[in-house]
Amino acid sequence: MFQRLILHDSAALYTIAAFAVAASIFVAVAWRALLMRQSETDRLGRLPFETPTPASQHEPDSKSATH
Amino acid sequence: MDNPLPMSNDKITIEFNDRVVRQFLMATVCWAAVAMLVGVLIAAQLNFWQLNFNTPWLTWSRLRPLHTNAAIFAFVGNMMFAGIYYSTQRLTKARLASDFLSQFHFWGWQAIIVAAAATLPFGLTRGKEYAELIWPINLMVVVVWVVFAVNFFWTLARRNEPSLYVALWFYIATIVTVAMLYIVNHLSIPTSLTHSYPVFGGVQDALVQWWYGHNAVAFFLTTPILGIMYYFLPKAAERPVYSYRLSVVHFWSLVFVYIWAGPHHLLNTALPNWLQTLGMTFSLMLWAPSWGGMLNGLLTLRGAWDKVRTDPVLKFFAAGVTFYGMATFEGPLLAIRSVNALAHYTDWIIAHVHVGTLGWNGFMAAGMIYWMLPRLWSKPLHSTALANLHFWIGLVGILLYVSAMWTSGITQGVMLNGTAENGTVLAYPNFLDSLAAIRPMMLMRVIGGGLYLTGWFLLAYNVVRTVRGARPVNGSIEVFASVAEHEPATLSLASAFFNPPVLFSGFALVFACAWMFGGDILRIAGIAGAMFCIVLAYIHFESRGRRWADWYDRLLVTALPFTVLTLIAVIAGGLIQIIPTMVANQASNVEDRRQIPYTPLELAGHDLYVSDGCYLCHSQMIRTLVSDVLRYGDYSRLGESIYDHPFQWGSKRNGPDLARVGGKYPNIWHLRHFEDPRSISAGSNMPSFRWLLSAPLDYAALPKKIAVQRTLGVPYPAITDAEVVAGARAQAKAIADDLLAAGASVAPDREIVAMIAYVQKLGKYEPVAQRVAEKGSRLSD
Repeated sequence: MFQRLILHDSAALYTIAAFAVAASIFVAVAWRALLMRQSETDRLGRLPFETPTPASQHEPDSKSATH
Repeated sequence: MDNPLPMSNDKITIEFNDRVVRQFLMATVCWAAVAMLVGVLIAAQLNFWQLNFNTPWLTWSRLRPLHTNAAIFAFVGNMMFAGIYYSTQRLTKARLASDFLSQFHFWGWQAIIVAAAATLPFGLTRGKEYAELIWPINLMVVVVWVVFAVNFFWTLARRNEPSLYVALWFYIATIVTVAMLYIVNHLSIPTSLTHSYPVFGGVQDALVQWWYGHNAVAFFLTTPILGIMYYFLPKAAERPVYSYRLSVVHFWSLVFVYIWAGPHHLLNTALPNWLQTLGMTFSLMLWAPSWGGMLNGLLTLRGAWDKVRTDPVLKFFAAGVTFYGMATFEGPLLAIRSVNALAHYTDWIIAHVHVGTLGWNGFMAAGMIYWMLPRLWSKPLHSTALANLHFWIGLVGILLYVSAMWTSGITQGVMLNGTAENGTVLAYPNFLDSLAAIRPMMLMRVIGGGLYLTGWFLLAYNVVRTVRGARPVNGSIEVFASVAEHEPATLSLASAFFNPPVLFSGFALVFACAWMFGGDILRIAGIAGAMFCIVLAYIHFESRGRRWADWYDRLLVTALPFTVLTLIAVIAGGLIQIIPTMVANQASNVEDRRQIPYTPLELAGHDLYVSDGCYLCHSQMIRTLVSDVLRYGDYSRLGESIYDHPFQWGSKRNGPDLARVGGKYPNIWHLRHFEDPRSISAGSNMPSFRWLLSAPLDYAALPKKIAVQRTLGVPYPAITDAEVVAGARAQAKAIADDLLAAGASVAPDREIVAMIAYVQKLGKYEPVAQRVAEKGSRLSD
């Protein structure tokens, strides 16, 4: 079976099967991401800002102590 | 300082381990300069072959692996570790788990880089691109990577922030996938302390190599930098990532799709057609997640574009993300088989990888360094103007470099693939015509690379002036002493797998495999089972959809099951491609033609060919293209390289293909060519390999090498060690006598004799179909 698989072009069918699997995963993940609550995505998106970071003095608006 | 200081009953202050971040940052600055300096040198050597000063260890083919390894593992590696350690501590609100492991990681990684720099120029190599380091260094890499993984996951386990920000997902994917790729592609059997043969050979080795090579780009040069982008870009722009939802889709689709795309490095070759199609399909699918990520990065700058004008950090980040978009547009484009026919083996590929490395990795590194520097040393950057100048010099350098290489690559492709008289003759039969045409572009590459290097030196100067007299500071954070009450529900390892989504997917996969690979009854059962699973999963999702969502929500905040499932996702793509190819590479399954094993002397020549990096300029793969066949001879069959450990298909043609060069010229031609290429091919830029004429051949190593080859499945007859050496010496004497008759006196125990024996063997095969026919005929007799 494997020998046929590797030597025959008809095996391109497996490419379509693989594409279908990957596409279904993509759709599932995208669907799940769309269902995330806005409050949750806002909270997760702000995680990098929960640890204060000293401002760099080369930045033009570095008046604030942290950001 | 491992133990946090208690501040009160409710809160504690955690001081981050920023020392190791500073160490990796400084190492990045130093090793990047080395990598780029070597890059500029070897680019200049392609214009001026004399620049190796007749020295083996300064020769292009020995320095090129040093350049690529330094750029990937020393430059981007150190940059990645600095960014990961800095952001992970802040995202988890926890100090790195172990100061000892952090220091072991840093010094271990630097030792590996030094060991690589001390071996590659001396021809100590495994001969596989980006996997050249010899086996003792491979073991060091594995140990240090495991230490890194332990330190990282231990930190995750001690985290004070229950949620895992998306940057951490990218880091997790990086750690587990690079470990898998590295181990599989570095499986070797040693023949000595400095030499080994890869366990894979021929097409199987080609596929494993580019599964690794492509995903080294994906999971070493891309996913960690994406994690860094998702942390540092919002910090620098002072606004959250544009769409967290999009970042989730970006992550999962990249992880699932990237791993399948490796075969696009082997289009139009002897690789089975279905694998080529698979690689091309998945490469094209990469457009969507890659551009999703790029747009997410650029749109994070919404409302902050005014700062980009003055802030060098945002300039570098904005340009870096734009280059990511360019590189990830170009990659799938080059993976289209017809485009690849033009571009493969040419400088277009060089342009593509440098858009990624200089533009994406280099600019993200520069932005990150300029952002972290004042914060890690509590001192303003020495000169913002200098940083801005770095940006513009670097940008002009990249644009010069890649535009030169695009032009050069397309010129090469058009000239070398061009045919005339209705495709019956080559338009440019002399390979050197294409070299003469691209010389101005190769010179422009040196200028572009030189400008980029100059920009980096400005960064180094800025770093030194900033750090001088500054006080290193460690960041800190106050956290609640106990986070248990804030912690969301997590998953145990068992419940990560025994749940509806995973079980339905697993059963469907098993049935699908039965359908594809099974016999008649299994095939029918497979179709029925797969359909049943899909229907059942749909019904279950409709009635109990909340359980599916609950599992996913818990998965995202539980590091271990998340990591295991990510690993399974990337393993699946690898196994489906590699297992059939392992079967394909067996001599009993090969059809049409089968390679004749090398004699001991030819094997010694093969090892010299690998050691001197000849494969970096010369392919041994005549593609199924009219121009390739007209120029080099009959197209290469899968079975013609099954005994090559490692495979020699190559990835670039700075010189012509050698798959069928055996017997094409007399021995004396090869001797003169190695000694002084221009005496044979006027205008050639190949360096002289004169030292091969004086270096003694190591006959004593041959018996062990033959024994290992036999272990790997190469059908050598049962001969004693003495017979191995005697056979090699006899063949060497015959070649030396032939050279003497042609007017050249060379001792038979010199390396050049083995090299000539090897190149004269290239393209020799036995016809399998004929053998089968003969066998049948004998049986009927």
